[in-house]
Amino acid sequence: MSLVWPRWASVGSRLLATSAALFALSTAVTAQDAVVNRWGPTPPVSSYGARFDSLFWLITALIGVSFVIVCILLIVPVLRDRARPGHKASFDHGKSLHDKRFTAIVSIIVFVVLDAWVLVVAMTDLREGYWNIPNPDDPATYKVEVLGQQWAWNFRATGVDGEFGTADDILSTNELVVPLNRPVSFNLTSKDVIHSLFLPDMRMKRDANPGAVNIAWFEPVVAGTYDILCAELCGYAHYQMHGKLHVLDQATFDAWEQEASKLAIAAHDANDTEAHWAWEWQE
Amino acid sequence: MILPSLLLAGAGLATGLLAPFAALSTSEDDVAAAPENPHARAPIDVLLEVTEEAWLRAPNEEWFEAQAELFPDRFEFVEELLEVEGDFEGGWRDSQGEFEFRYDEEEDEFAYWQLITADRLTQGRLDYVQFCASCHGFEGDGYGRSGQHLRPPPRNFQRPNFKFSKVPGSYLPSDEALIQLVKRGLNGTPMLPWALSDEQLDDIIQYVKSLSPEGQGWRDIYSEVGDVVESGEDPWAGRVNEALVRGEEVYHDTAKCHSCHPGYVTPARFEEITGSPPRDELTYPLAKSTDNYQVLGYSMLILPPDFTWHDVRAGTTPLDLFETIASGIGGTAMPQWKNSLPDEDIWAMAHYVQMLIETYKNKPSDRARFMAGLRN
Repeated sequence: MSLVWPRWASVGSRLLATSAALFALSTAVTAQDAVVNRWGPTPPVSSYGARFDSLFWLITALIGVSFVIVCILLIVPVLRDRARPGHKASFDHGKSLHDKRFTAIVSIIVFVVLDAWVLVVAMTDLREGYWNIPNPDDPATYKVEVLGQQWAWNFRATGVDGEFGTADDILSTNELVVPLNRPVSFNLTSKDVIHSLFLPDMRMKRDANPGAVNIAWFEPVVAGTYDILCAELCGYAHYQMHGKLHVLDQATFDAWEQEASKLAIAAHDANDTEAHWAWEWQE
Repeated sequence: MILPSLLLAGAGLATGLLAPFAALSTSEDDVAAAPENPHARAPIDVLLEVTEEAWLRAPNEEWFEAQAELFPDRFEFVEELLEVEGDFEGGWRDSQGEFEFRYDEEEDEFAYWQLITADRLTQGRLDYVQFCASCHGFEGDGYGRSGQHLRPPPRNFQRPNFKFSKVPGSYLPSDEALIQLVKRGLNGTPMLPWALSDEQLDDIIQYVKSLSPEGQGWRDIYSEVGDVVESGEDPWAGRVNEALVRGEEVYHDTAKCHSCHPGYVTPARFEEITGSPPRDELTYPLAKSTDNYQVLGYSMLILPPDFTWHDVRAGTTPLDLFETIASGIGGTAMPQWKNSLPDEDIWAMAHYVQMLIETYKNKPSDRARFMAGLRN
């Protein structure tokens, strides 16, 4: 490569310029690929999903702006005060009152304004979204007990009678069917090690711990089939611990639930008590 | 120094005051009264080393030669035959152990046996403990921690029953059949399609076979080892529509699948095919209990799948379905159809069942419409 550097360019500035060019190039290529191939999360399809996405983008934007400012503050003095013919490198240790005042003001802006902003948005999202757990006594709430294990998700829904621990409980492994536009409430636990129920499209993730019951919920707003994953490394076959979430519109769901309950009764064995793992609903 | 000392003293005092309450909360009687839950056995004192070699049933001479070809790295064939005594006994010895055909005077039987060395069993046990024991239990009894409450329950390897080996029920599955099963996994259960190396799988399977109690399964001189059922060519290739018609007839008439599985025709059509009225609730499956699969001594209830609803465990291609139907499902009410029906009819049923799965499984509104049509 026959790149002609100006005579005054030192080794350091050549390195700096080269890496800056490479950085710009890779950013451009990545950005182009991201746009063309639609990188990024799948569209949020739960009632609170968009909240968490906007929080994510807010934090990304704040960090992005800070990153650019910090880069400018770093690069400009490096270029301006560097050693060059007729100019000695100049620097100071930031010990003057002016510098201390500047640092203090920047810190206050970052910690009080930006962090508080993010904290307020995050807490509002949590309170109105994730922690706004639906009332379990409301008939609209679709309750599901989740039992994680190495390496599968076991689900138990109440069936048409609305009670857990009865013959018509709908049992399934790695497959969950839920109604559209109704809050779905989970009680999660695990038989063996820590798992984490992750519904990426719903923006929902919650640990399933052995010996304790965790609560989580979401409300699907778009019908379709989505992924169920395990988001906690739980052993050798963790990567295979996944399933499908089917969101059906209310009419289809009602018919499905009737049929599922009837088939559950056909498979139910009243004397096989070891198979009856339902627990009392935890709020 | 005063503050830490005060804190320490406070903590000591609190512990002293609380200790009697802690002692009250668990009395020794409660601990003794708790029934033993085999699933909750703590995995302490788990031995990883197998010290005893095992003589296990092997299929026959051709099988051994095929094995030697299959694993050239491991099976270094040594041209040193075992002493041949009499007309009916002989054997081979190689880097992995000994294989022999011998006569048992007490039982008056001939059989092929394979010696699995303790080293190889240890290798299998190590992999077994890592990958299988969480459900199947450290001793292979099906009482693993993760296997609790699980239905269908994990297989108990101390009983030589396998449901989906695709080997006809009267035979023990061959190594290849078991490896196929483990690699394929069982749909809709935590038995995953295991992506392990052939060597690991082979070691695990030898170990699992060695879990048979003396005189049973692979340690039984009367057992016979068989391969996956033969399928032959699909006679309906290129004319699947004819297969579906034939399949529907065989399913509801000759094979009487509807006596356990659901029937997938209207009552009128049912009478037309079979000449007799349908059973009650024809479109729902009927569960049956079997002593061959037990948990805590309790016989399992087995629900035959509704193909438009449940997962079919052992694969959904016509070939998979042919093999499953032809070999039957060991230890359950599903019989072996090979030799009791012509292959052509079994293939037709395989196509018919595959059509049901493809058209209606996981398509709730299509399925609801189809079933409603049958029920009215």
